[in-house]
Amino acid sequence: MSKQKKKITDIRSINLMALFAALTAIGAFIRIPLPYVPITLQTIFVLLAGVLLGKRRAALSQLIYLVIGLSGVPIFTEGGGPGYIFKPSFGYLLAFVVAAYFTGLLTENRPINYRNIFLASTTGVLITYIIGVPYLYLILTKVSGVELGFLDTLKAGMIPFLPGDLLKILIVTIITPRVYTPLKKYL
Amino acid sequence: MLRNITIGQYMARDSIIHNLDPRIKIVITIMMITALFFIDTFSGYGLFFLSVLVIIYLSRIPLIRIIRGLKPVLFLVLLTLILHIFFTRGGEVIWQWGFISIEAEGLYTGLFMVTRIILLIMFTSLLTLTTSPLELTNGIEYLLSPLKRVGVPASELAMMMTIALRFIPTLLEEADKIMKAQMARGADFESGNLVKRARNLIPLLVPLFISAFRRADDLALAMESRCYHGGEGRTRLHELKVRAGDFIALALALLLCVAFIYF
Repeated sequence: MSKQKKKITDIRSINLMALFAALTAIGAFIRIPLPYVPITLQTIFVLLAGVLLGKRRAALSQLIYLVIGLSGVPIFTEGGGPGYIFKPSFGYLLAFVVAAYFTGLLTENRPINYRNIFLASTTGVLITYIIGVPYLYLILTKVSGVELGFLDTLKAGMIPFLPGDLLKILIVTIITPRVYTPLKKYL
Repeated sequence: MLRNITIGQYMARDSIIHNLDPRIKIVITIMMITALFFIDTFSGYGLFFLSVLVIIYLSRIPLIRIIRGLKPVLFLVLLTLILHIFFTRGGEVIWQWGFISIEAEGLYTGLFMVTRIILLIMFTSLLTLTTSPLELTNGIEYLLSPLKRVGVPASELAMMMTIALRFIPTLLEEADKIMKAQMARGADFESGNLVKRARNLIPLLVPLFISAFRRADDLALAMESRCYHGGEGRTRLHELKVRAGDFIALALALLLCVAFIYF
């Protein structure tokens, strides 16, 4: 297949994007117990979408995940529905779209090796915080009307997740080179 | 552990609300939610609550289901209420004990915000309880179709949503099976340090990925053999039709929205 700007809605891409939307959805339900904050596999699938599908298809797949959840199918960690926009944690979900895009951007047309994957997934995870934490702050202060310092938000919305996210970055880094070769023919 | 997740909380019933056109229902929901944010009096909320109750009655959905839908936001509701009661200042002091005091303004704002959150969740869960996921994606496709002109692939988006919905239970089952199979072979998902845990997930993720990709590829092939070529010229078994009842519902909703804001 040519690498130029091809249509992203050919049959194969449609199915791959649907697949990653579904994977992100089930990722919310596979929990790995970790001390204090159990982690879910969601971020792993978001990052892998970026690496495997490329920036545009990856972002679209996560967008589909969001739209399905917002239209009421309970595939977010705590349900679904348009009301979810006003949940403080929705920013992290919104960030999936952008994180997948940038992870894809940083790995497209580059060799698949530990270093590149590690850098791209770290960027992806950082983006979830860059969007997620201000959103958390915004909803808590503006919608719930709570008086809260930005530093406290950072303490609640970022620090507890760091070990888990480091683990996820490691998983993605270890796993991508292994799945890339057998899967290449499907991409 | 993975199986007890029901996808879609849709409750099939034969009611006026269920039979409304999904497009109209989506539009009404968006209108009502927007209106909810403009309401600034408790009497407005009262009217909103009343109309929600009427819709619940008409839809023949047991009230307990709607109330159960509130459980996920319970924490947010309590947090909002408590923080407001103790930290928002102003108005007369209602209750004081040492340095802790509850003031009128805090109680009022707290209750106000909480009412808004509860009504918001009640109304949105009504949409999904009375509309099946398939109807919803259909409705979304129609509503997005004007955007086709600017290059948004509306029907492909709807197709992807439908496929993703179909994939979710299959993938869950698959993940569950692989986890059990690997645990039977001595895989351990729950101990060790960070790097070790990361490594332990490989026997779950690699097979999951390979089989999922194969499945997606099979489906692509099947669609191709059946000549799927996007939304252009597609015909449907169930065409969406807007009937008189839908217009009446829309008009009523518009009236209500105006009433909420001026109440």
